[in-house]
Amino acid sequence: MNRILVLLPWLLALALLAVLPQVLSVKYYLHLSILALIWVIVAQGQNLIQGFTGYVSIVQAGFMGIGAYGSTLMGLNFQWPLWATMVMAPLITALFALATGYPSLRVKGHYFAIVTLAFNLIIVIVLVNYSELTKGEAGISNIPKPWGGNREAFYYLALALAVSLTGLAALIARSRVGEILLAIRQNEDLVAALGIAAWKYKLFAFVISAMYAGLGGALYAHFQGFINPEIFGVAQSLDAILAVILGGSGTIAGPAIGAFLVVFLPEILRFADSFRLILYGLILVLATIFMPIGIVGIAKAAFARLTRREAGHGG
Amino acid sequence: MSKHKFTRACAALALTLVAGSSLAAEKKLTVGVADALTGGGAVYGLPQANAVKMAAEEINAAGGIKVGADTYKIDVIAYDDKANPTEATNAVRKLIDRDGVKYILGFCCSGSTSAVASFIGNEKAVMLVGNAAERSITTKKIPNLVRTRPPADYTGQAAGTFIARKGQKRIAVLGALDVGFYAQYVDSVEREIKKAGGEIIAREVFSLKDRDMTPQLTKIRGLNPDAILVVGYVEPAAFVYRQAVELGMNIPRYGFTSGSEEQFLRVTTSEQMEGVWDLRPTELTLLSASKNGIAYHANYTKKYNASPSPSSPYAYDQLYALKAAIEAAGTVDNTDAVAKALRNLAVPPQVVMQYQPVDGKMFDVNGQAYTSNGAFQWQKGKWVFVEDLPSDSKAYSQFLSTLN
Repeated sequence: MNRILVLLPWLLALALLAVLPQVLSVKYYLHLSILALIWVIVAQGQNLIQGFTGYVSIVQAGFMGIGAYGSTLMGLNFQWPLWATMVMAPLITALFALATGYPSLRVKGHYFAIVTLAFNLIIVIVLVNYSELTKGEAGISNIPKPWGGNREAFYYLALALAVSLTGLAALIARSRVGEILLAIRQNEDLVAALGIAAWKYKLFAFVISAMYAGLGGALYAHFQGFINPEIFGVAQSLDAILAVILGGSGTIAGPAIGAFLVVFLPEILRFADSFRLILYGLILVLATIFMPIGIVGIAKAAFARLTRREAGHGG
Repeated sequence: MSKHKFTRACAALALTLVAGSSLAAEKKLTVGVADALTGGGAVYGLPQANAVKMAAEEINAAGGIKVGADTYKIDVIAYDDKANPTEATNAVRKLIDRDGVKYILGFCCSGSTSAVASFIGNEKAVMLVGNAAERSITTKKIPNLVRTRPPADYTGQAAGTFIARKGQKRIAVLGALDVGFYAQYVDSVEREIKKAGGEIIAREVFSLKDRDMTPQLTKIRGLNPDAILVVGYVEPAAFVYRQAVELGMNIPRYGFTSGSEEQFLRVTTSEQMEGVWDLRPTELTLLSASKNGIAYHANYTKKYNASPSPSSPYAYDQLYALKAAIEAAGTVDNTDAVAKALRNLAVPPQVVMQYQPVDGKMFDVNGQAYTSNGAFQWQKGKWVFVEDLPSDSKAYSQFLSTLN
């Protein structure tokens, strides 16, 4: 019974997402949903290092940039097929993450956050200044889109990837590796005292997290058809962190919910004109203060209270 | 006719008149504006959005847009794109997909504009670009895109000739050189200076949010240049001018900023600005303005209680160009016909900027319009138009056509 109760919201959400393109008469919402699904992938990656391992990384958008530029430039310069470059994108990002993760993970807490922030800044500076390759701040236009830019088809591609990678994140979380990641979050010294090489697991989480971002970036590039360095700045990395915190850090459903929030909320608030960003900021501050366990955490607590009360009545 | 019948006939007549007048009542044409209404780009984007709204009110007051027997009154929806590519894409998707808008104006900043330009060719919509100066926006031959502002390097070429003529040989550049169109401007200046035997001796960079430029200026001062050239957004450029004076750099200061007096005086004093040159398209300043320009300045100032930025008429002119194109095409629904009409449009009489038509048309085959370029100098608290800069719009148009 409990298992059905746990699976039911997932099945309902999946069914809703599957029929969404058929019921949406305004394609603008489909556009936003595709962006949100891309952000689900990016946020699930962020959750692996931030939510499960307890290391706040501020380079997720930078890794998105590596994936986006990697896929785009391989396609434009080597004429590789789009699907091949999209598969290559997370692998290239993984190489960068390996190179940056090894030194970064030697420090902890705020220091790790600052090191990764610096990496994001460096990535943007390189993208801006290496203009012979990246076309600098002007960006790259006319990036090939699959199925001639058919948004409905792209939606299902993004949905399939978001669902699969959410499933993969759940598998990792429930595996022995996931348990060690959680243990690192709780007490890294204790993990080391047990003879476990914590750095290997941290590096694993960091690299997988970057691969998620790299794939998200490649999807973004081939969906929008345009990229420039600004899209992959620190502000977007903070959005990835927010998505995890708002939805529920260290949960599987949390980043998915948070991703939809960070995409849809600023758009919904457009009615407020120039107060939009003030309102958005206010909502985020209030949510972080009063909902530190995120939407999923609150929902779980409410459900637990409800079931306890019913059990109490029954007894 | 009985009294009742007469009353009924009168009522029927009144009803017919009311119904008739409502049938003849104007239709509504909604145009969209996607621009930076907040953030760093808002110094350009907000005045552009205001300019479009003002133009719409003027056109409506003058009877609207006439298409055959119909008259359209213009309604403007403006969305903030924060000069961010993703936000701009979202804003334009909302305008097209949800609001059903076919004509989108504004676009002050190059990154966000390029993002929208990358897909607008597939839409049944027309995009009119304003202040965004990145050259590549009009090199892709997008049939439903036109731009009122000339690319930065078109102006840079004229600016380089002007600086060379002034006799300065060793020029130090300080600017937002990581922004593509500013770098293109400087490259063009350098080409012209080199022809006259001069050189660029330094290329120092500042970013949009930088406020302390003394490190770069101190380094430049050590190189002993003949002049400095400042390219970038208004606020950081104003800090450069101010700090150059504070560091005792008594050399000519050239710039490419397009800021209004009001915008500069928020950061510097008039004394610190005295003698600064702005080498830019002949945009709006009261001394260079035509009759339209003077009226625009007065109306804008009255309506918004602030002076218009010099570049804001690029957006104002967009709406008058669109009106003329719609009337020429005889349709509001067929965007292909309107886009085609824009390409064949003579410069409408109501525009503010001083356009240099190519083959008699406001927009060339690339969808690019050209204004004259001018040398403006800060004199006693005002930008004073000093002279026209030599600019060949036809030759540049041919050059632009060779790019892709």
